[in-house]
Amino acid sequence: MLYVIGLGLSDEKDITVKGLEAVKRSERVYLEAYTSILMIDKDKLEEFYGREVILATRETVELEADSILANADTVDISFLVVGDPTAATTHTDLLLRAQSKGIACQVIHNASIMTALGSTGLQLYNFGQTLSLPFYTDSWRPGSWYDRLEENLKLGMHTCVLLDIKVREQSEEDMIKGIMRYGPPRFMNPATAIEQILYTENERHPPSKLKPTSTSTTADEPASGSTSRSSSPDPTMPHYPTYPTLLDPARTLIMTLSRLGTPTQLILSGTLAEMSELTEEDFGGPLHSVVIVGGNSDKGKGRLHPLEAEYAGRFAVNGGEEFWRCAKEDYGVERESI
Amino acid sequence: MHSLMSKPTNIRNMSVIAHVDHGKSTLTDSLVSKAGIIAGAKAGDMRFTDTRQDEIDRGITIKSTAISMYFELEKDDVADIAQKTEGNEFLINLIDSPGHVDFSSEVTAALRVTDGALVVVDTIEGVCVQTETVLRQSLTERVKPVLVVNKVDRALLELQISKEDLYQTFCRTIESVNVVISTYADETLGDVQVFPEKGTVAFGSGLHGWAFTLRQFATRYAKKFGVDKNKLMPKLWGDNYFNPKTKKWSTKPTDADGKPLERAFNSFVLDPIYRIFSAVMDFKKEEITTLLEKLEVKLLPEEKDLEGKPLLKTIMRKFLPAGDSLLEMIVINLPSPATAQRYRVETLYEGPMDDESAIAIRDCDPNGPLMCYVSKMVPTSDKGRFYAFGRVFSGTAKAGPKVRIQGPNFVPGKKDDSFIKPIQRTVLMMGRYVEAIEDVPAGNIVGLVGVDQFLLKSGTLTTSETAHNMKVMKFSVSPVVQVAVECKNPADLPKLVEGLKRLSKSDPCVKSYMAETGEMIVAGAGELHLEICLNDLENDHAGIPLKKSDPVVGYKETVQAESSMVALSKSQNKHNRIYMTAAPLDEELSKAIETGKVAPRDDFKIRARLMADEFGWDVTEARKIWCFGPEGTGPNLLVDTTKAVQYLNEIKDSCVAGFQWASKEGACAEENLRGVRFNIMDVTLHSDSIHRGTGQIMPTTRRVMLASQLLSTPGLQEPMFLVEIQVPESAQGGVYSCLNVRRGHVFHSEQRVGTPMYTMRAYLPVSESFGFNADLRQATGGQAFPQSVFDHWSLMNGTPIEKDSKLQALTVSIRTRKGLKPEVPTYDQYYDKL
Repeated sequence: MLYVIGLGLSDEKDITVKGLEAVKRSERVYLEAYTSILMIDKDKLEEFYGREVILATRETVELEADSILANADTVDISFLVVGDPTAATTHTDLLLRAQSKGIACQVIHNASIMTALGSTGLQLYNFGQTLSLPFYTDSWRPGSWYDRLEENLKLGMHTCVLLDIKVREQSEEDMIKGIMRYGPPRFMNPATAIEQILYTENERHPPSKLKPTSTSTTADEPASGSTSRSSSPDPTMPHYPTYPTLLDPARTLIMTLSRLGTPTQLILSGTLAEMSELTEEDFGGPLHSVVIVGGNSDKGKGRLHPLEAEYAGRFAVNGGEEFWRCAKEDYGVERESI
Repeated sequence: MHSLMSKPTNIRNMSVIAHVDHGKSTLTDSLVSKAGIIAGAKAGDMRFTDTRQDEIDRGITIKSTAISMYFELEKDDVADIAQKTEGNEFLINLIDSPGHVDFSSEVTAALRVTDGALVVVDTIEGVCVQTETVLRQSLTERVKPVLVVNKVDRALLELQISKEDLYQTFCRTIESVNVVISTYADETLGDVQVFPEKGTVAFGSGLHGWAFTLRQFATRYAKKFGVDKNKLMPKLWGDNYFNPKTKKWSTKPTDADGKPLERAFNSFVLDPIYRIFSAVMDFKKEEITTLLEKLEVKLLPEEKDLEGKPLLKTIMRKFLPAGDSLLEMIVINLPSPATAQRYRVETLYEGPMDDESAIAIRDCDPNGPLMCYVSKMVPTSDKGRFYAFGRVFSGTAKAGPKVRIQGPNFVPGKKDDSFIKPIQRTVLMMGRYVEAIEDVPAGNIVGLVGVDQFLLKSGTLTTSETAHNMKVMKFSVSPVVQVAVECKNPADLPKLVEGLKRLSKSDPCVKSYMAETGEMIVAGAGELHLEICLNDLENDHAGIPLKKSDPVVGYKETVQAESSMVALSKSQNKHNRIYMTAAPLDEELSKAIETGKVAPRDDFKIRARLMADEFGWDVTEARKIWCFGPEGTGPNLLVDTTKAVQYLNEIKDSCVAGFQWASKEGACAEENLRGVRFNIMDVTLHSDSIHRGTGQIMPTTRRVMLASQLLSTPGLQEPMFLVEIQVPESAQGGVYSCLNVRRGHVFHSEQRVGTPMYTMRAYLPVSESFGFNADLRQATGGQAFPQSVFDHWSLMNGTPIEKDSKLQALTVSIRTRKGLKPEVPTYDQYYDKL
C-alpha cells in the first residue's frame, strides 16, 4: 500500500493521527522536499515518528519514481507531502503510476495553504483561480498569470498567489554539462512578489497610456486569424486589451500570509500601493503567500462581504486608514463599528 | 610619422596576399628596403616579415606581420591620384600575410584592417586555388586589389621564353585574375579589375628586387619622345604596334607591306629587359656598358666587377627598383582610409547606418567616438601577454581614458561580453619591433597594450555608449582537424590549461576546449596549422612536454528525411508535452547560414523574404524561425509551426536553450548538428508558469529533438578537403592511385598552358588526409605539390542507426573515444508514449 500523507503546515505535530499510524506501519518513509518545506528539520520528524525518513528530491520523484514504488505491493510505503497531497501541489503522476502497477493507494489529507487561507477572514467560497508567481529573470518574465488574475478580478473573486520556491536549482550550463550542482534554496518574499506584480502590471497597462479614455472597453483586437495568435513570435509588440486596469495599486487591497500555522504567523493587509512600501524584513522568513482581494471591479462591486472586510481589516498596516478608504471607495464596504 | 598619421587622405593600409610560395614576403622585402628599414642589398634574401624561427626554417609565412612605412611620391605624380590628397608624403601600413591555406584566417584578419591588397601571382604557376580564395576574401571585405606578376626572372632565365610568349603569359594571368574579380566583385566597390595600361598591374621579381609598371616606361618614353605619358600608357599594352619606319602607331600586327610588326609592349618594355638579361648572362661586357649608358644606370666602382646573376640583380635593381614602382602603384591606385571607409562602413558595422559611430566611421573622423576593431592578438615578448592588433576606424586611440571593450557576443544595451577598461599604451607594429606612440588617430593600424585579457580573439573598442559591434569576421577555413593533448607530467596540467588559453588567443582560427572525458582538444584548419599550433603550445605557451593523440576529425550529424512520425516528449513532471518533427535543410541554405548570408541578427522580415525567394521557404514559416544553433549562429533552425498555442512565448527561452544543447550534441555521437530544421508542431503546457520553468522545458525540448532526429534517418557529414595538385604529366598516375586509396576523387585536371605541368583538383575526405602529403611525395617521386583546404561537408552513405553498418561502426568509435556508452541510442530513449 502506498500512503500519500499530508503533513500540514508547520511542524511534526501537524500530521493526522491516521497519517501517523500509517507512517509507523511503513517500511520506507519518503519526504518530498521540493514543492514546499516544513518549518522544522528532518531530524525532528524522524525523532517524532520513530522512523528513518528518506528525502526525495525532484529527480527522485520525477525520474526514479519506480524506486519509490519498489515492492509497494507487498509492504507499506509512505510518501510525505508538506501541506495536503492533492491541494496546491499535486502528486497525481505518482498516484497514476502506482495504480497502473496495481499498487493500492491511500491519500491521507491534511491542512493546506489553500484551506488555511480562511484565516485571512476572506471566504474560501469567493476565491477564484490560484496562481503561482515564478521568480523573474533578466530574460524570462512570464506574464500569463496576469490573465487569470484579471479573470478573477473581473468577477470580483479573490486570488491566492503562491510564491515560487527554488530548492536545488540547477543552472542552465550545469544542466547541459550534467553537473549536479545546485544553487542555494531561495524563497520568494512578498516584497519581491509585489515588485513583480507591479512590473507586469506596468507592462500591461503602461501608466502613460492610462489616460481616462476608459470607454474603449473590451477592445479585444479584431480576431483576424493568424495575426492575433497568443504565441506571436514578436515580443516587441505585445498587444494587450486596452480596457483600464483592475489592478490599480491605490485601489486594490491585498493581503500577505507569512509562515501560516506556526507560532510566528503573520498576516498583513493594505492597498497594493502601501504594501509595496514594505521591505523583506517586514515580512520575515519563509514561507509566504499573497492574496489579492476581489470586488473592486464594476461587475464585482459588492462582492466583498462586510464581514470579510472587517476581519481582514484587523491585519491592516498603517492603522488601517488606507485600507478602509480603499474598501469604501473601491469595494463599497464601509467600516462597521463593533 | 605622427603628423602623417593624422592625415587619413595620405594613408594607405594594404595587405600583401597570394598563393603560397608566390613570393609575398620576398617582395615585401623590396618595399621595406625602400623605406630604409633594411639594407637594399639584403632585400629579397632576408624576408624581414618572417619573424618567427619556424617561419625562417620552413620558408613559409605563418603569422601576418605589419609594418608602417614612409613614402614620398614625386611631386609630378601627385596629380595622378584620383582621390583627395594633401602633399606628396604618404604613410603606408603594410601587412604581409601567409599564403598557405591552413593560415587563411590570418589573411582574413589582415584584410579586415586594410583597404587595399597587393595580389602577388607567380608568372609561371599563374592563378592558384589560394590566389582565388584570398581575392574572393578581399572583395567581400571590399578591399581593392592591385596585381603584381612576380618571378618574371624565372620565365627569362629558366624557361627562356620569347617576348611574345611572355606577353601572352602575362595576359592569361591578368585575365584569370580579372575573371575572379568580376565573379566576386561588390557593386558598391565598382569595377576593380586590374589592367596594365591603367597602371594597376606591375611585373617584377621580388628575389632580384625589381619591378615595373607601364607607368614608369611611359614616363621614361614620354620624356624621350615628348608625348604625354598618359596617352602613351595605353599604347604600351594590348594590340598596339609601332612601326619604326613610318613612326606611326597601328593596331594591326603587320605593316602596309605585310611585314610583321613587333608589339609595342615587347619592343618598348620587354626589349630592354631582355637585352640586359642576355648581355649579362652571356658576359658581353661591352654591350653591358652601352646599355647602362642608354638606360642611365650608374654602377658603383665595386659593383662593376660583379658578374652573372649578382650583376644582373644589381643592374635591374638600379634600372627598375621594385620599391619605387610598387609603392608608387600602391599610393596612386589604392584607396586611403578616408575614401575606403565611406563605402566599407556598411560591411564593417552592425548597427544602424545613421548612428554616431557609423557616421564617424564613414567620415574617418579622428574627433568622433572611438571605433576600433581588434582583428587578432600578437604575442609580446612578455610571456602570456598580447598586443591587440587592429584598426582605428574612427576617433583616436590613446592611453588613459576608459573605453568599452566589446566581445563578439556583445548585444547593445546589455552588459554581456563587455568591459570598461582603459588602454594602457598604444604602439606601432613594425615587423619584429614595436614603437611606442602617444595616440593613434582614425584610419591607422595600431597595437594596443592592456586590453588582451578582456578579449578572446577579436572585438570592438569604443567610447560611444550606443555603439554596436563591428561585424565579426567570417573565416573561410574552419577548424576541422583536432587532436587531444595531455601533459606528460600530470602536475603540469595548470600550465597546459593556461597555455591553451594563450594559444587560442594568439591564433584567430584555432579552437581549444575540454571534452567531456576531460581531454584537452585542440582543433585547427589543417595538419600543418595544427602542427605549428602544437609546437607553439609545447615550446612557448605552455612550455611543457606534451603527449599528442593521432589527429581526429570532427563530424556533423544531420538528418536525411522528414521524421517518420511526430516525436513527443513529456516534461519530467508530466505536465508539459512537446511535439516536434525534424527535416533536412537545403545544403545551399546551410551554406548561406555558415557564410553569414542568412544570419540570426538580420531583420526577420527581410530574412524571411530572402529565404522565400532563394530557398523556397514559406514566408510565414520563415518569419517564425525562433533561433539558429548551435552557438546561436549555426546551420540548424528551430521553427514554430504551431497554431494558436497559449503560453508558447513564455517557454520560448527554455526551448531555445534546449535547442542549442541538442544542436551542439546530436543524438548519434554528440557531434554538432548541421542542416537540420526542427518544427515545433504542438505543445501542451501546464497553465501555471511555475510548472513549466526552464528546468522542465529545456531537457524536454532537447529530448524531443533527439527523438525527432533519430526518427528522420540520421546521417553523418564528414569534412572534405579541396586538394589542388601541381604535377608533371608523367607523375599523374601516382596522384590518382594515391587518391583512390584514400577515397578521394579527381574532378578536374588541366594542363597549364605553356608548361608540362598539370593542375589537378580533387576532393579528399579530411579523415583520410593525414600523411597524404608524404604519401603523395613518395608516389610521385617528389614531383607533386598538393595544397589542401577545407571545402565542404559531404554526406556519408548510410545511417548510424542501421545495425552493423559501416557508419554505425564509425559512430560507435566516436562515442567510445568520447567516453560515452558505445551503443547508438534508439529513438524510444527520448520518445515518450502518450
